[in-house]
Amino acid sequence: MKQNDMIAALRGGTVTRREAVKALSAMGLTMATLPGIAGRAMAQSERGTYFTWGGYDDTGLFPTYIAKHGAPPNFVTYGDAEEGFTKMKAGYVVDVVHPCSNDIPRWKESGLFQPIDTSKLSNFPDVFERLATLPGARDDAGQWYVPFEWGATSITYRTDLVGSDPGGESWNMLFDEQYKGKIAVIDSAADTWWCMAILAGVDISKPLTPENIEKTTELMRRLHPQIRMYTNDMTSLAQSLASGEVVMAITWNEVPVQLTGEGVPVKFAAPKEGALTWNCGLMMHKDAPNPDDAHDIIDAMLSVETGKYCIEEYGYGHSNAKSFDQVDAETLASLGLDVNPTDYIDAGNFIYPQTDEVETQMNRDFESVKTGF
Amino acid sequence: MNTVAIIVEAPRAGFWRRWLMRSEALRGYLLLSPTLLVMLGIMVIPMVGMVVLSFWTQHAGNTFDTTLTLKNYTDAFTRDMYRILFMRSLGISLLTTLFTVLLAYPMAYFVAFHVKRHKMVWIILMTLPFWTSYLLRVFAWKIILGYNGAINSGLISMGVISEPLTILLYNPTAVVITLTHAWAAFAILPIYVSLEKIDRSLLEAATDLGDGPVARFFRIVLPLSLPGIIAASVLIFIPTVGDYVTPSLVGGTDGYMISNAIQFQFARGNNWPLGAALALSSMVIVTAIVLVYVTVIRRLTARIG
Amino acid sequence: MSGIGREKNRPLAIYAVFYLAFLYLPVLFLPVFSVNDSIYISFPLKGFTWQWYESMIGNEPMLNSLMNSIRVALATATISTLLGIFAAKAVTRYTLPGARPVIATIMLPLVVPEIILGTALLIVIMQAGGTLSLLTVTLGHILLCVPFSMAVLMSRFEGFDRSMEEASADLGENAWWTFWRVTLPMAMPGITSSFLLCFTISFDEFIMAFFLGSTDPTLPVFMWNQLRFPQRLPGVLALGSCILLASFFVIALAEYLRRRSSFNSDPGAITID
Repeated sequence: MKQNDMIAALRGGTVTRREAVKALSAMGLTMATLPGIAGRAMAQSERGTYFTWGGYDDTGLFPTYIAKHGAPPNFVTYGDAEEGFTKMKAGYVVDVVHPCSNDIPRWKESGLFQPIDTSKLSNFPDVFERLATLPGARDDAGQWYVPFEWGATSITYRTDLVGSDPGGESWNMLFDEQYKGKIAVIDSAADTWWCMAILAGVDISKPLTPENIEKTTELMRRLHPQIRMYTNDMTSLAQSLASGEVVMAITWNEVPVQLTGEGVPVKFAAPKEGALTWNCGLMMHKDAPNPDDAHDIIDAMLSVETGKYCIEEYGYGHSNAKSFDQVDAETLASLGLDVNPTDYIDAGNFIYPQTDEVETQMNRDFESVKTGF
Repeated sequence: MNTVAIIVEAPRAGFWRRWLMRSEALRGYLLLSPTLLVMLGIMVIPMVGMVVLSFWTQHAGNTFDTTLTLKNYTDAFTRDMYRILFMRSLGISLLTTLFTVLLAYPMAYFVAFHVKRHKMVWIILMTLPFWTSYLLRVFAWKIILGYNGAINSGLISMGVISEPLTILLYNPTAVVITLTHAWAAFAILPIYVSLEKIDRSLLEAATDLGDGPVARFFRIVLPLSLPGIIAASVLIFIPTVGDYVTPSLVGGTDGYMISNAIQFQFARGNNWPLGAALALSSMVIVTAIVLVYVTVIRRLTARIG
Repeated sequence: MSGIGREKNRPLAIYAVFYLAFLYLPVLFLPVFSVNDSIYISFPLKGFTWQWYESMIGNEPMLNSLMNSIRVALATATISTLLGIFAAKAVTRYTLPGARPVIATIMLPLVVPEIILGTALLIVIMQAGGTLSLLTVTLGHILLCVPFSMAVLMSRFEGFDRSMEEASADLGENAWWTFWRVTLPMAMPGITSSFLLCFTISFDEFIMAFFLGSTDPTLPVFMWNQLRFPQRLPGVLALGSCILLASFFVIALAEYLRRRSSFNSDPGAITID
């Protein structure tokens, strides 16, 4: 009996062994791809590396850079700036990175960055002064942060489901009992928390006091039961607004523009307490392997060509004042940017970037609210 | 133990060769060495580093106070928030594991015993859906479970409900459904592998002894497929405890898990030592649960057998 | 081998169909929405369009990331399965003193949250002066996959009928020959399963790939990073549908070739598989 099994197994072996040969040859093929895996790492050092959100790895943003270097910079992307920051804290080195203004003190304090030499930036004189001097962006050591794009954070709401002007636009809309469980917010203290701070009457252009933090956290705690989901990405927010899953969401200004473009009836609220103005920009790593190239990347992103593309394709304001002259009035109007940018920026509700300690405290409060504590 | 005897008795000629051939342990370790060395080589330093880190204290910025302290562990075990998150995570993972294994077993059984030809094609067919990005599958689940989604539209058109149900998405149920789908292949494959090796003559013997299909299944197939069930449940239970992506995509406000808390400490929370302590604690708890589970199952089957 | 397999079990067959439907249900929505004329994945459907496929074809970074993923997944699956075979064979074939701690060590990456593993590995690589590339991603994925491979193969090797190997050894075959002729064929279902699992894990893994990768992103990293801009999702959907279609095609072709070749060269093959 055992003998029979043995023969059967070996006979079976004639089939499966061929499979095994195939498997082995597939393995050989795999091994052949391995050098490819290792080899491509070498090409990195020639040009500077730009670490940014997926979506900004767009050659359209670098016409002047490409004109000079023949190719765009090396792109490395993250889905969330905070993940990128974690990666850099673990030792990952790039040339230029793309944080937002509220990150500045925390990022600066990590000791991972160096001031940018503005004399190497031909477009720097055209940058809005208010943006270039946002708190923390410039100090005695130099210019740590160069602004790139800006926009507004407010409530996008479905006019067909909520009404077109439900009792005056206000951050209080989010607290309306009848929309309980139909509200989504951005899952980061950098946005939602500050919107509540505005509603709480906190002067967000100053360093926060413990009482202000307490007041805002209290509002967050009251908002929590209203919320269906916290999410970090604009795609999920836009998707759920489009499907009617939620009727109101805190979003950035490009979301309502796109939704309207797709025929979804939404409106971007102008809360009477004021919307939040956000600004993101560029910082340079302290060990940037290609410092000259880093300055080229930053200068290219400040150029008028890039600004025009940024406004038209992304729907964001650009930091170069001259960029707005390149875009026709109709486009600007459709994007809600048909204002005098200088006035808009000067009147904007910019977040005062908090110290690492306060920011971390805020983040931790936000987490406990989110988990229901 | 018996190596001593071998050394004493071994004849001079071919001493080492014989010793090598006879010493089970040595041959075993020789075979094991490539895997063990690779794994140790990659893992030792990071893991030791993490353990040490969990006893440090985070300073503002990117620096640590390297005085050893148990504070992170007392935080991890005494704060209500973490206790509840632990329980929630374990509950979700247990449910996911249970459903995944229960649903996958009949399928694996079907392929192992009832599919005569092209078994591998069936197996590959069941892994194919998982080659499309996880992200896309999550979005697909949102279409199915969502407010204007497939299920709600279906129920409304059938007149079962008048308003879309909102209890399908953005809650722990959605997390369990999504995970049960996502880990299906990880249950089917190990169970199939262990079913496939069951000696068919045992089944015939049982039939000859008058066992019906049900008795045959419980007396032979189930006990013999236990290695596969154990492998599947461990392979699903452990990683789902550590998953933070699914809960944050479909879990809504109650979908925040211990792994999200760990991820938070490494990102915005900026407290790596606490994150490491939370992770190590969860690792210890999960390992303990798995050990108890494996022991209990083995005991039970030993009794049945 | 009479009886058992030949019995028809209708309820089980019906269940199998339903289960397959459950596995494919979400995936089949992808092709539907990939030709929907809207950037949002939601009902009702808006209209038919090929534009997302057109945008996909010109999207070089996306196609590059697909190639990167295939490479990494193939390498990971091969190496992890090999390492899994060694380890599983060693612990099931030999009585090893201290086998439990050894198994526990190899299984360790399973219990460590990926964010920890990714960050810790990144720190070590950076401290050692290494550079990030697809090679480091592969390394990370091997770490994740070996426990899976070993677990699957152990359940295959456990209670393995050793008499076969002994019979082969008694017939004077050397150890390699025995492994090649007896062990490997018997372990084949386990090996294939392990390969498939490892490929699937690596092809879909995001966290390690993000922390250990650099200018060459893998497909999951690429996709996750597109979430910042909603208008990029449909292109990704089109790619997902193409991957699904292409893998169907490859499997069908492989099966067709296999049947033809086994039919021509070895009629016995048909009864065996």
